[in-house]
Amino acid sequence: MLLTVDRLNVHYGSAQVLHDISLQIKAGELVCLVGRNGAGKTTLLKTIGGFLKPTSGSISFQGNRIDGRPPEKVALQGLRYVFQDKRVFSELTVRDNLELAAFPTKEPLEQAVRRLIGIHPKMEKLLHSKARGLSGGERQILLLGRALIGEPALLLIDEPTEGLAAIIIGEIAQVLESMKARISMIIVEQNLALVSRLADRIYIMKEGAIFQEISDPEHIRQPRHYQDYL
Amino acid sequence: MLQTIFHGLTIGGILYIISIGLSLTFGAMGIVNFAHGLIYTLGGYILYTALTTLGLNFWVGGVLAVLTAIPLSYLIERVVIRRLYGESIDYAIIATYAVLLIGVDAIKWIWGARPLPVSDPIGRSIGFGGLDLPLYRVIILGICLLTFLGLSLFFKKTIIGKIVVAGLQDREAVRSLGININKYFAIIFVLGSALGALGGVLYTPITSLHPYMGFHVLILCFAVVIVGGLGNLRGTAVAAFALGLVMAFTGRYWGPAAEAMVYVVMALVLIFRPIEV
Amino acid sequence: MLKKIERSIPLTLLLIAAGFLAFGYLTSLLKMTDFMIFCIFVLGFDLIYGHMGQLSFGHMLYLGAGAYGAGLSAKYLSPDPFLALAAGLLVAGLAGAVLGPLLVRTTGACFALLNLAFNQVGHFLILVPLAPITGGEDGLSLTFSSYGWVNFSNLTFIFYLVLAVLLGVAFLILKFESAPFGLLLKSIKENEIRVRFLGYNTYFYKWITFIFSAALSGLAGALTVLNYGYTNPSFIDPTRNVEVIFAALMGGAGQVIGAVVGGTAFMTISNYLARYILRWEMFLGVALLLIAFRFRKGIWGYLREV
Repeated sequence: MLLTVDRLNVHYGSAQVLHDISLQIKAGELVCLVGRNGAGKTTLLKTIGGFLKPTSGSISFQGNRIDGRPPEKVALQGLRYVFQDKRVFSELTVRDNLELAAFPTKEPLEQAVRRLIGIHPKMEKLLHSKARGLSGGERQILLLGRALIGEPALLLIDEPTEGLAAIIIGEIAQVLESMKARISMIIVEQNLALVSRLADRIYIMKEGAIFQEISDPEHIRQPRHYQDYL
Repeated sequence: MLQTIFHGLTIGGILYIISIGLSLTFGAMGIVNFAHGLIYTLGGYILYTALTTLGLNFWVGGVLAVLTAIPLSYLIERVVIRRLYGESIDYAIIATYAVLLIGVDAIKWIWGARPLPVSDPIGRSIGFGGLDLPLYRVIILGICLLTFLGLSLFFKKTIIGKIVVAGLQDREAVRSLGININKYFAIIFVLGSALGALGGVLYTPITSLHPYMGFHVLILCFAVVIVGGLGNLRGTAVAAFALGLVMAFTGRYWGPAAEAMVYVVMALVLIFRPIEV
Repeated sequence: MLKKIERSIPLTLLLIAAGFLAFGYLTSLLKMTDFMIFCIFVLGFDLIYGHMGQLSFGHMLYLGAGAYGAGLSAKYLSPDPFLALAAGLLVAGLAGAVLGPLLVRTTGACFALLNLAFNQVGHFLILVPLAPITGGEDGLSLTFSSYGWVNFSNLTFIFYLVLAVLLGVAFLILKFESAPFGLLLKSIKENEIRVRFLGYNTYFYKWITFIFSAALSGLAGALTVLNYGYTNPSFIDPTRNVEVIFAALMGGAGQVIGAVVGGTAFMTISNYLARYILRWEMFLGVALLLIAFRFRKGIWGYLREV
């Protein structure tokens, strides 16, 4: 078991936002978290990533407890968080963005650059442009390329296709599919067509708790089974 | 008129050197660091001791003062600043002000409360286009320019510089890459403090040393940082020179109002562009 | 148990009165008058710090405005002490009313530093452009008229007057705390945005609070002038802001008894400790650090939980 979350409870001040969450991810899986806005998907991802401290419960990654550990330590253990809103370091160049990501790992920068170009050849021309100038889709690809540096075992990706045009979503979907072989992922997504195409399993979240788990491939492929929960 | 401009630029230059550290700490950690004024003051006082007790030359004394600031500011960072991350801004203000208080009293204890003079290390002027420019001030401008270039290179070309630029924009994203951003902000804190001490060294021959000079200059620097934008390196430079000119021109026509005018400008800027901290 | 005292207005006032009467006769009426005046200042400051939840680093401006309002009134209008008091209160309140709308739209560091900036400007105005009427660095020495037993040079009289004013101010604030306005302010302190969503113009309520805070600080300033018989720029000195901040924090922010305890504690330190420890300012700094990190609730804050 790659990741085990056991009876996780999280509070913002005195308000409880996550209730008794338990889930498991096996190595090689791509799991999607779906649910309405405010269901707690981002909160759950942030807690796993180390940005929030749970009030109770545990999170184990590759056999080690990571709940309550600071995000930089969790990241170095092989669990990477890719934020919402396509936040890149806009004042730095694309290459600089990769350089920063490579810095704490043992991976050479040139390898990271080659990987990014391999994912999306157009990036080669953009290497020395400031990240500020990238389009939404390019930013997301940069973020993914950044997150893959150091070859982590698990990626937590928050709404990668939000606000993107259909063609670009298709490109992102291809990138994610190509990553499936080497890396496990938990993806928060509202785009059900994408979910049905990519997911090995789905967790539906509602009001801060896991409402349902769907593991039957037939059900996953037909969004009508779960679209009501959004 | 040109003389006033030159004067203003010199003041602006020193304000820039002192304010950079403040701007970075404010922008990076959201901490208003009153203790910065202490390091600035100590820079001047250690220079004084170097000149009088140790009999060293001004420039050597200055370097010594800046070097002493490094372990001191590191101590402050470890004991006080680090505990203020994520805390409400009010406690940061109170705690760093407390450090300033303690330090100023220590200075009064060691060096006494009376103002101490430090003389212009060069004392000559050079003529330039009909102006009489004190060579010392020309050198200050030179140091200023070097600092600006050095910092620009640092933030554009070195990995630490890039980490800080990224961290100023998005702390959490930097952490998500596995980088302990606090460690690098601490480095920046020490760097900024060292520059603060340098500012203290450079400014003392122009005014004189007194224990409260840190408090005094601090508010001017807050004005620079606020007008220039928190953590905005270029903005700080522009604001420093602009406010230096404000001070010089006000000083020429209505002497004592020079500093008050800076606060008026700061108040105006805050009114029309309030900061969110 | 102590919380019960807090909730009962008569008990609180009794505690304050008994405390100062006892200390006054045990030590010196003159000293205690000083203490009480400072407590009034702390109460005024705490309206903003403890009740509204924002740190002002320039409240000496309002103390000074009250001091100079009173002083200028006594020097140029009439030596009547009550007119001076009213003038001080008015000038300070006015300053709060004029600067308030700008200040209450800011928060955090902006608020703190903007207040400091105004304080600096005020200090400058007193020292330089207005020096002809304010006496500049030397200040003004004043005499006040007396009416029979209403004599401000009489230590006993002024002690009881200030005590009465302190109790009055404490009473007003206690009543305010449980009034709708006070509760609204508490909500604003906790979450201003939510209160705004409920439809309240929070800036207005903050502004009114600010005016009261300034006026009370000015009252303290005016009383200082009446007590000492002079006014000078130290009453508007921006470096003295730390005194009232320390007192409010140390005593316990947001509570009337806390403010009084803090004010008394600070005055005790600066008056008595200064005699025995030469480096008492360093001590103050260390104490401030400890409180800021470890004892945020202040003396009363911890006592009341016992």
